[in-house]
Amino acid sequence: MTVDARKQALSIFTVVVFLIGVGVVLQLWLLSASLEGVLTGKGELAIAATAASAVLFAVNGGLLAYVLRIDRRVRALARNGP
Amino acid sequence: MSEDAKRRLPHLTEGDDCRYAKLEPERWREDFPIRWEEDHYVTRRELAKFLTLGSALLVGANAAMAVASHGRAERVYAPKRIAGESALRAGESLLFRYPTDDDPCILVRTKDGSLVAFSQVCTHLSCAVIYRAADDRLFCPCHNGLFECSAGHGGAQPLEGPPERPLPRIALTVKDGDVYATGVRA
Repeated sequence: MTVDARKQALSIFTVVVFLIGVGVVLQLWLLSASLEGVLTGKGELAIAATAASAVLFAVNGGLLAYVLRIDRRVRALARNGP
Repeated sequence: MSEDAKRRLPHLTEGDDCRYAKLEPERWREDFPIRWEEDHYVTRRELAKFLTLGSALLVGANAAMAVASHGRAERVYAPKRIAGESALRAGESLLFRYPTDDDPCILVRTKDGSLVAFSQVCTHLSCAVIYRAADDRLFCPCHNGLFECSAGHGGAQPLEGPPERPLPRIALTVKDGDVYATGVRA
């Protein structure tokens, strides 16, 4: 039971880490676009990119909170038994 | 669970690893020498935390850039007299330095009669641009870069060649028949 729970948690972790990674790559792209905008005198691009980046961060934070909750549950299961 | 443990603890079933670990902690540690609390250090959980921290830093970097771009829209410096208002005829230009002696600029009376001033430093590789009256454009002779030269909102937008960014515009004020530079607009 515990081993199964750990395996399941590991799969969820893998997917969540992948999703967070995709979000971070998108944020890097937004940062480069923002820099390009600032250098070409289009400052409003940086504001839009910041807003989009903040949304991605919120998504990443939510995913992390979700995965940590699962982790706590699995650890509690490992400690107290099924 | 090992075969030996199954023989000694017949009431435990396959998968009861936690109960086995509680009943025989020392044997269990021999089988699994790395503790659950320790082995997570380089696991996906830590990676997820690290990536989320990176995500927060990226938001911060983006916000800093937005603030910086807002701040650099126009910088005001002490006014400096450049020339008399009637010193230039249509299609003529005059070189000056603003805001410091290390910042070459160019004042142009365009063909439509308006006065405009830009930084003379090309945004490609910092060569000095010159005014080309024939086509009413600013030209960079180093790599054949061409900039628009207008009093409109676009300013000195790059038109041809390698430059991708516009030339910074010098804010001008006409007072008592003299032209003054008052600031730099990125």
